[in-house]
Amino acid sequence: MNRQMKHPKVSVRNLYKIFGGDPKRMLLNVKGGMSKQELLEKHKHVLGLEDINIDIYAGEITVIMGLSGSGKSTLIRHLNRLIDPTSGEILLDGVDVTKLEQDDLRTLRQSRMSMVFQKFALLPHRTVIDNVMMAPLVRGESATAVRGRAQDWLNRVGLGGFEANYPNQLSGGMQQRVGIARALCSEAEIMLMDEAFSALDPIIRTDMQALLLELQRELHKTIVFITHDLDEALRLADHLVVLKDGRIIQQGEPQEIILNPTDEYIENFVRDINRARVLRVRSVMEPVVTGGSDDHIDVNSTLEDAIEKAKGSADHIFNVTKDGKIVGSLQMTTVLRALVPRRVNKD
Amino acid sequence: MAELLAKSSNGNQETSLWDLPFPSLDALHEACGAVPRTRDMTAGLEDIFLLIKNPLKVVLDPITQPLSWAIDGALAGIMSLPWWIMIPAFLIITQLVTRSKKVTVLAALSFLALAFIDHYTYAMQTLAIILVCATISIMIGIPIGVAMSRSDRLRAGVLPLLDMMQTLPTFVYLIPLIFLFSVTESKLYGIAIIIYAVVPVIRLTDLGIRLVDKDVLEAADAFGMSRNQKLFGVQLPLALPNIMAGVNQTIMMSLSMVVIASLVSAPGLGALVLRGIAKLELGVGIIAGLGIVILAILLDRVTKAALVRVDHATRH
Repeated sequence: MNRQMKHPKVSVRNLYKIFGGDPKRMLLNVKGGMSKQELLEKHKHVLGLEDINIDIYAGEITVIMGLSGSGKSTLIRHLNRLIDPTSGEILLDGVDVTKLEQDDLRTLRQSRMSMVFQKFALLPHRTVIDNVMMAPLVRGESATAVRGRAQDWLNRVGLGGFEANYPNQLSGGMQQRVGIARALCSEAEIMLMDEAFSALDPIIRTDMQALLLELQRELHKTIVFITHDLDEALRLADHLVVLKDGRIIQQGEPQEIILNPTDEYIENFVRDINRARVLRVRSVMEPVVTGGSDDHIDVNSTLEDAIEKAKGSADHIFNVTKDGKIVGSLQMTTVLRALVPRRVNKD
Repeated sequence: MAELLAKSSNGNQETSLWDLPFPSLDALHEACGAVPRTRDMTAGLEDIFLLIKNPLKVVLDPITQPLSWAIDGALAGIMSLPWWIMIPAFLIITQLVTRSKKVTVLAALSFLALAFIDHYTYAMQTLAIILVCATISIMIGIPIGVAMSRSDRLRAGVLPLLDMMQTLPTFVYLIPLIFLFSVTESKLYGIAIIIYAVVPVIRLTDLGIRLVDKDVLEAADAFGMSRNQKLFGVQLPLALPNIMAGVNQTIMMSLSMVVIASLVSAPGLGALVLRGIAKLELGVGIIAGLGIVILAILLDRVTKAALVRVDHATRH
């Protein structure tokens, strides 16, 4: 599906956030070109977010990646307005979230956006099943009506049988499964995940990523996922936004960002990844059907698959297929070239 | 002032600098009658109090009247039932609150010992007053604590007041109360006990709510909880261990105040202690004092056992 044809589910427009005593006045300075450093030194205000523009499409996983202090957690909290912006708009289906009254905002949080937290943030005095039922109960639905649905979600995340336990009796990974079940049980169309897997061990984190992708294939939620981990970002993202010092430095399809980093910062970021495993055939193929080969390869295969299929040969040519039809060709020489990171021109 | 001092020392020029009096109100009054003495200041305070006494009484009397009824009712109720109903009833309550056999046995031994040495009536009177006053303290204290946890400005205003209520010598409460109410009214000592005992439950409710995990509160916000849903669904349950610690302190402070309140006709073990002091009946005073210690241990163990239960229920 073509992104440009659809309307975005959520549009962030010219979002600024300045922390300090008089953010409105400082906004003029920032818009006038004052740097984050200067603002801090001269006026003791912290520039949290600067001119953020993102389109978040329904059914996609939008990953916002950045190191700590880049403003990614601040950004995600603007979407459900746990933090109020200094200026800018957040349009959810065309309605500006930043202008909602308290009551409408609560309704939005209860039924349209759910959230998963880095530190799980489950209610320690309630059982697992009661935690999962949180959103519907807050909306005022009766516990008996919701219980069956909550049980289904709990089974779905692999925690059937733990409903009567308390959160502190579970391991971190299990607690976050409860957190995900809680978010899913709200049946909100948008799911905000704030470093949801960052507090987990690497192996459990991989399991959770797989769980999320599996759920997503079925549910097609609009997910905004925050992470500081590039591998996680590349695994999950349909659309990747790279944040640094409160500014977006590049956003787009992850493959595109790896192949064409526009900034030295991103180049450093992507240097150490396993490109053969991350890059897909569709990103490097030529869209011309030559028909000069009998070998076929799917557009969504990784380059690793292609190298394996060519048995290491460097002058092999594949016909690239999509849904059984030939859509282009792939030369192994192109594959080899794509494996070497491109340098941003420094001269 | 220098002129006044010069005038006062005019008569005896010999006075050396060593004897120069501090220019206090009394010293200045000696020199010039127009300057009021310190006693005039305290007398003025009394006059002001007498002036506002009647209007204050019109307002306070009806508001506080239920307190008299509650205390009198509790005293009469406890007295009208025979011991073989009261003691088992208290033991059953103890068992229900604490779910601890040890504490219940301790309570049984305490009651039987007090009854055996003919202190049953006094102990029950003391207990009745404490139960009424502590209950009212908790009913007043928790809402105030909740309000303080929500507003830093209110907290900044109330905290010094609480400090004063706790440090002011307890007898000082009694003086204006004696002016306001007749000594025969039980609300007189009821108010004194409540003012003294309400402080810890306010403090610990405020503290408990402020200590609730910020991440959990953020999650409550993110799922659209209203203020009341957050208060009753998250903040109060998670603050409960601290609030219970405050309740324990409130009950213990009621007990210590009920002894002093015997000065203004509060019945019970405190009255016996007072008799021991007034008539120098050493034995009466000591035995009644030990009776108070037994009650204190009992109340402390019961509330602490309840606290442990609450702790387990919230922590798991």
